[in-house]
Amino acid sequence: MNWDWDKLQKQQQGRPGGKPPSFDDFQEQFDKLKKFKLPGWKLVLPILVLLWIASGFYIVEPDEVGVVKQFGKFNRITTAGPNYHIPYPVESVLTPKVTQIRRVEFGFRSVGRPLTQSFQQGVSREVKEESLMLTGDENIVSVQFIVQYLIKDAEHYLFNVNDPEQTLAHAGEAAMREVIGNGKIDDALTTGKQEIQVQTRELMQRILDNYQTGLSVVAVQMQNVHPPDEVIEAFKDVASAREDKSRFINEAEAYQRDILPKARGEASRIVNAALAYKEAKVRRSEGDAARFLAVLTEYRKAKDITRERLYLEAMETILSNPDTEKLVMSEDALKQSIPYLPLDKQPRRAAPKEAQ
Amino acid sequence: MKKTTIIFAVAIILGAFVLTSAAFTVDQTQQAIVIQLGRPVGDKALDPGLHFKMPLIQTVVFFDARILDFDAKPEEITTTDKKYMNVDSYTKWKIIDPLTFYTKVRTIQGARARLDDIVRSQLRVALGRYTLIEVVSHKRQEIMDMVTARSKELLMPYGIEVLDVRIKRTDLPAENARSIFGRMKAERERQAKQYRSEGQEASAKIKANADKERAIILADAGKQAEIIRGEGDAQATKIYADALGQSPDFYEFTRSLEAYRNGFGKNTRFILTPKSPFLKHLQ
Repeated sequence: MNWDWDKLQKQQQGRPGGKPPSFDDFQEQFDKLKKFKLPGWKLVLPILVLLWIASGFYIVEPDEVGVVKQFGKFNRITTAGPNYHIPYPVESVLTPKVTQIRRVEFGFRSVGRPLTQSFQQGVSREVKEESLMLTGDENIVSVQFIVQYLIKDAEHYLFNVNDPEQTLAHAGEAAMREVIGNGKIDDALTTGKQEIQVQTRELMQRILDNYQTGLSVVAVQMQNVHPPDEVIEAFKDVASAREDKSRFINEAEAYQRDILPKARGEASRIVNAALAYKEAKVRRSEGDAARFLAVLTEYRKAKDITRERLYLEAMETILSNPDTEKLVMSEDALKQSIPYLPLDKQPRRAAPKEAQ
Repeated sequence: MKKTTIIFAVAIILGAFVLTSAAFTVDQTQQAIVIQLGRPVGDKALDPGLHFKMPLIQTVVFFDARILDFDAKPEEITTTDKKYMNVDSYTKWKIIDPLTFYTKVRTIQGARARLDDIVRSQLRVALGRYTLIEVVSHKRQEIMDMVTARSKELLMPYGIEVLDVRIKRTDLPAENARSIFGRMKAERERQAKQYRSEGQEASAKIKANADKERAIILADAGKQAEIIRGEGDAQATKIYADALGQSPDFYEFTRSLEAYRNGFGKNTRFILTPKSPFLKHLQ
């Protein structure tokens, strides 16, 4: 104690003198440090142990499951919320996202959009070696489709297959090609799409289940199905030919609708004209008959005189016509004359007529 | 007192060293065998979990326990109808007997070489028996099943199990694709022509039918008109007959006079003699 005090005194004295610290000073500091550290040893170990134990706590998010391995071997599945496992190196946890629906594109790649977003007709680039497929009727069709899937069994997903995503991509391509290969090109291009999607989904699921990938195919959706670029013009021409066909038919029907009503109108005109003729004729005959009967009644009352009167009236009318040439000859003169017919003087037919 | 602590510490460090070099874990995705001086120990692979070995003289070799993928390069194959096609296949396989696997092929790389040899030749053999269209469509599953079964049999001795050989793509070489495009084009052109001529056919039929119908409508009307006219004429004739029949003589007389009156007009020349009844008073 005395020694220490002396030293301190000396140090205090030496300071104004600017004397550098001696080795003794360091020795003293070191001793102090040693004295201080001793109680720490007893604290550090329990703290480390506590930290080690605490490292076993983990949280499983709602869209995840926890898969706990004990010495590398699968042990148990834990559900969402806080959980505990025996810390490293005994147990470890993996937390795959099992509710998230993932998406893979086949035959095309979207540009500038994350893969997980839902599809919208945006910018995409065709990948021909993936999209061109042979159909069962030996045609080639370009099929672009997507597959949506999720992890249905985390244990299988993590431990059974080397690369489940790659496996899914392979299975998708193989399945779609098999289904397309079993069908005809027109099925793929027109009405068969729904059926193809269903069959592909089922086939993919069978393949993936066979490998126990733990993946579930939610949907297969065909996006863009079209004939290859080399023949697309010919296909479009078929569509316009179909339009032409119905155009021709429509034009013919228009013609039909134009002429038939006109013909019916004409028919009605013809029939009505005939009816008019008939009615006129009947009425005319009735009139004539009435006139005749009226005259007849009077005639019967005085036959001879009426006959004579009618005859004379008629002759008078005929002969009073200034255009009619009259020649009165005696019987003898007539007998002596040579009957001569000057046809050239007559522009039209002349009828030498002898009234009764 | 001090000596015992030193011994204790040394024992702990030594123990820890032995323990860490003796204990090892096999992951769920792995299987392992223990090799003692170059020779496998035991007759069974180790399952996932904690295991121990003798330090220094034993080593552990790990193998993947999962299903592995072998994606073969696309290969040109000739079908029985002498057509060429590029077949792209993949194989799903698994190491089921690590001891055999270790002695026969040793590594995954070695296994791939075997798979390549065997699967490729099996595919070639199987596909050579079918026509192109059979491969593409209805015989595909059958072919894959056959190749899988044969490959499985042939690779079993290597400790490898083939689970599935699957044809992924069947493409045609470029020149064959071109001829298919040509045919597709011709087929569609034929179809387009057919549609157009069908349209013209239907159009001509409809027009002809309309023309026919028009002719029938008009002819019917003509027929009806003649019937009606006939009826009119008949009725008129009857009316005339009924009336005139009451005195045919008088009718004949009056009708003759009327006819003379109408008939003799211009350019008529009468030669009358005094004997004519009209001129009887002239005598």
